[in-house]
Amino acid sequence: MSTEAIAAEKPKRNYNALFGLTLLALLILLWVILSVATQSFASGNNISNLLRQGSMIAILAVGQTFVIITGGIDLSVGAVVGFATVIAAMLINAGVPVFLAILITLLVGVAIGLFHGFGIVKMGLPPFIITLATLTSLRGIGLLMTNGNSISINNDAFQEFSRNSFVGVPNLFWMVILVGIPAYIFLHHSRWGRYLYSVGSNAEASRLSGVNVQRTIYMAYTLSGLCAAFVGVLLASRIGIGNPTQAEGWELQAIASSVIGGTSLFGAVGSVHGPLLGAFILATINNGANLLNVNAFWQRIITGVLIIVIVYFDGLRRRGK
Amino acid sequence: MTSTAQELHPAPTLEPGRTILELKGLEKRYPGTHALKPVDLAFKSGEIHAIVGENGAGKSTLIKLLTGVMPRTSGDVIWEGKSEALATPHEAMALGINAVHQEVVLCRHLTVAANMFLGEENSRYGILQQRAMVKDAQKIIDDLGFDLPAHVVLGDLTIGQQQLIAAARATVRGTKFLIFDEPTAYLTRKEADQLFKLIRRLKGEGVTIIYISHRMEEVFELADRVSVLRDGTLVGTRNIAETNDAELVKMMINRSIEQVYHKEHFTPGAMIVEARNLSGKGFENVSMSVRAGEIVGLYGLIGAGRSEFVTTLYGRHRKSAGQILWEGKPVQVNSEHDAIRLGMALAPESRRDQGLCLNLPVGLNLNLPIYKRISSNMLISGAKEKAEADRQIAGLRIKTPTRSALASSLSGGNQQKIVIGKWLAHGAKLFIFDEPTVGVDVGTKAEIYRLFGALLSKGAGIILISSYLPEVYELADTLHVFRRGKLVATHGFRTANHEDILTQALAEKQEKLGGQK
Ligand SMILES: Nc1ncnc2c1ncn2[C@@H]1O[C@H](COP(=O)(O)OP(=O)(O)OP(=O)(O)O)[C@@H](O)[C@H]1O
Ligand SMILES: [Mg+2]
Repeated sequence: MSTEAIAAEKPKRNYNALFGLTLLALLILLWVILSVATQSFASGNNISNLLRQGSMIAILAVGQTFVIITGGIDLSVGAVVGFATVIAAMLINAGVPVFLAILITLLVGVAIGLFHGFGIVKMGLPPFIITLATLTSLRGIGLLMTNGNSISINNDAFQEFSRNSFVGVPNLFWMVILVGIPAYIFLHHSRWGRYLYSVGSNAEASRLSGVNVQRTIYMAYTLSGLCAAFVGVLLASRIGIGNPTQAEGWELQAIASSVIGGTSLFGAVGSVHGPLLGAFILATINNGANLLNVNAFWQRIITGVLIIVIVYFDGLRRRGK
Repeated sequence: MTSTAQELHPAPTLEPGRTILELKGLEKRYPGTHALKPVDLAFKSGEIHAIVGENGAGKSTLIKLLTGVMPRTSGDVIWEGKSEALATPHEAMALGINAVHQEVVLCRHLTVAANMFLGEENSRYGILQQRAMVKDAQKIIDDLGFDLPAHVVLGDLTIGQQQLIAAARATVRGTKFLIFDEPTAYLTRKEADQLFKLIRRLKGEGVTIIYISHRMEEVFELADRVSVLRDGTLVGTRNIAETNDAELVKMMINRSIEQVYHKEHFTPGAMIVEARNLSGKGFENVSMSVRAGEIVGLYGLIGAGRSEFVTTLYGRHRKSAGQILWEGKPVQVNSEHDAIRLGMALAPESRRDQGLCLNLPVGLNLNLPIYKRISSNMLISGAKEKAEADRQIAGLRIKTPTRSALASSLSGGNQQKIVIGKWLAHGAKLFIFDEPTVGVDVGTKAEIYRLFGALLSKGAGIILISSYLPEVYELADTLHVFRRGKLVATHGFRTANHEDILTQALAEKQEKLGGQK
């Protein structure tokens, strides 16, 4: 057999990095256009605002991506965010130290994720169903706990955090980096990351190769729940209230960001940087549309069209046309 | 549209011996691979034309171009004197070109009958005539001499039986030109005989046939002419009467092989694993053992319970009775995890369903069982990951542009090498190979058998399952014959003859294949 076939013709697959660059280029292009088209876009204030808007969805999208890579979906993340604001608000108002309140809220997110894992692995429920069930019931539980009222948080230091900046960059955006870097290392440089992909590609083959499929699924949903609870803490800090009906529809924005970022809903394809860029592209479009006085209804339509266009071109290139 | 058994094989319009299909400079490039360099080849009406070549030589690619599954890069296909575009499978079928592809591409959740008539369902006023379809399908199947039920769900049949259905399906439409891509890879001898009968019959009816196989004896048994592909180039075409095994192999791999079945004998050492009266789903009361340095062969029809037995041993399925002893001590193997921890490795039967993550890179597939070893703490050592993958790719001559190519882009035989290769670096004590050389070419087969020797010399034991009798016969130190879930006979190395083993495997009376329902 010829060895030259093995000694590689030009490796064509640096697809991930290439796709990431294309998204980055798209984001920068949007920024340039909006800077020219409007006066206020390039102002420091607006950029900070944009980063704050995008950050929370970005973090949700990272968790969501882990789940989608395994071939699943987590519809509960928006509800978990809302629920987490309630937990955080109640704990802080009850005088629990902020640090401890945050920790407990995060653990609640972990518990919800574990519950999803349990439903999928042990009860054999489809991910769509179990997370949809949590979506509605968590909002209900939150409403019961609050009697349908919003809880205002009376702790200024807690609320300061989300408004402040560090070296000129909003704290909320630093949180994206805080989540993004470990997430990147986890997904692309740890064996657990590899297992997420292999389970999403072929669970049976992974299992026979010694991959603990159940544990991998637990892990994905737990991380997604953790990310969502973390975003809940950030949202509570930003708005200063706990209300279970907040973050309505964020799960769809997170899924959209993930898909724009190159994640395949069939599983086994995805990255960390893609969804992050996807989230900020969506945030930019919303922000720009506001500045341009585009009807808010149109923003939704534009988002829908964008999803179709980007995923279509991504598919074309994947098939190597 | 209705199909009845009568209108299945319309008489071909051409007299035998005339050129029916001609390839002129047919070429295919995939990104990173020049799979088919311009090929010129003519097929005569009514002949059986075999195509042979190494894994990745371009055989399946050629078929995909002819059947409109893939677009060609350049070149012409002349069908009955006219140049045809063959851009879609539909176009090819309309001309009468059909194929039974290497991997069964049917709907596993539909019934056999539904699959047979997929795309040409019998319906009246938009309502499917299900009962009539089952009846028609059963008639066609019976007519072909296959002993299979038409009403069961396709996924309930073995891969071999599914392959027979795929063949039956291909004969339903007015076929003039029929292509078989390694049809016997998953068939037992008995099923293969049924298929050969079908092929000869079609030939008798004037259908032109392309037959792709890695088994030389089949080529000599069936074909009129044989063409050899090497690295995407047509090396030559021979009349079957004017060539021989050695010449074809020489043309295929550009060197000769003295001995395919390379067998080293070791004195069996300590007991590695022992099954005592093990029962489970699909098999009953099986006792056997494997010692260090020993190859234990399991022969039988597909569906005889061999795969079920080893997957139970491996912890994938629960045993219902019996005991497993590992190195003399009773153990509980409750999951494949337990099995791997003890030191077992399983290369499963179906590479698509159990063996590979198709849409992931070759490298990831090869390293999947050993990620624990090539990472320290949580992090994977990138250098080790690359080195391990490249070592297997080179060692098994896996034909791929890079280790980051997707497994799905490899040829069938090369995919099979990944299924085996991923365990070689694992350092297990007991290797279970379930149909390890399905679709693998002669040269690599010899390579794999040599690797068996290397594993044995390191003190490992091997369980080798094969439906291809010569393979187990030439390699196994102990040969167990399975029939309908029972271990019915045991032989030593080459102590029985082929006929006896076959009789033992086939049972006294013909049983209805797949007729469990
Ligand atoms: N979809 C694809 N994308 C990229 N390369 C491909 C694709 N399909 C096949 N190839 C490459 O084309 C070459 C020829 O493949 P082909 O499947 O025709 O081989 P083959 O002769 O049928 O081998 P085998 O005996 O293993 O089935 C191989 O190197 C393979 O890796
Ligand atoms: Mg092939």
